Amino acid sequence: MSASAVLEAPPRLSHADVDLPVMTTVTEDLGPLFESQALPYMDQLYAAALRMTRNPSDAQDLVQETFVKAFAAFKQFEQGTNLKAWLYRILTNTFINTYRKKQREPYQGTIDDLQDWQLGGAESTTARSSRSAEAEAIDHLPDSAVKDALQAIPEDFRMAVYFADVEGFAYQEIADIMKTPIGTVMSRLHRGRRMLRDLLADYARDRGVSAAQTPGSTP
Amino acid sequence: MTDCGCDKAKKDLEEYLHNELDKDDASDIREHLQNCPDCTGEHHLGVVLTEVVQRACKETAPEDLRTQVLLKLRSIQATH
Repeated sequence: MSASAVLEAPPRLSHADVDLPVMTTVTEDLGPLFESQALPYMDQLYAAALRMTRNPSDAQDLVQETFVKAFAAFKQFEQGTNLKAWLYRILTNTFINTYRKKQREPYQGTIDDLQDWQLGGAESTTARSSRSAEAEAIDHLPDSAVKDALQAIPEDFRMAVYFADVEGFAYQEIADIMKTPIGTVMSRLHRGRRMLRDLLADYARDRGVSAAQTPGSTP
Repeated sequence: MTDCGCDKAKKDLEEYLHNELDKDDASDIREHLQNCPDCTGEHHLGVVLTEVVQRACKETAPEDLRTQVLLKLRSIQATH
């Protein structure tokens, strides 16, 4: 089993000098293991937390809470299974239970039931000829525009897109993390990506970012 | 470009992009893409969308957070 490889990995943090009490209990023994295995995911968890909470201060609190909870539950984590997915599950649960209440998400719980036309041109078609231009324009958008567009789409769609496209989770893993059937994951992904694409294409058009623009062709 | 399997391909492109298709379906799509500029364009747009999202979402956790989490974990361990 590949778990042994993970277990044998030396702790990356060299805090041997830190004055720790003599370790006797299971929890204490798991400390260094948890730190070496879980803490490397901090950047990724923070990035996801930012997309969830939409502000750095809440994102930091959320990540800290996630690590504390994960550490408390680490005994139950089965070595050799997907630690990253496990951490994301805790992150998502913590977000839903603690932070979502604070945020304004008026359509929460019903968003999956909305029809595409209610979501606003979600299935608008792009003329074939302009598709490569659209790709080109989207490719040249600043990161801030992409983040804005992500923030603008409903949370469940946003996180499905995030889990699949940024984290590369399999659909089944996303279903586990979001506690929804796989069909719902697919629908959220499809609609989320469609909305994102339309928002980005609109943004590119508004800003005049276009593949047709040739540098130096006009003064 | 009639009846070249576009309907099926368009339906499956997103799953193809996310590596969710089984081997046979994936190779069907791959083959179809080689012969269909329309679906290839659609697929390319999908790939670009994924790439820009990946690019935009890269973050580094603040050093502060790293320190706080470590302190917190150490203090929990110390109380056990």
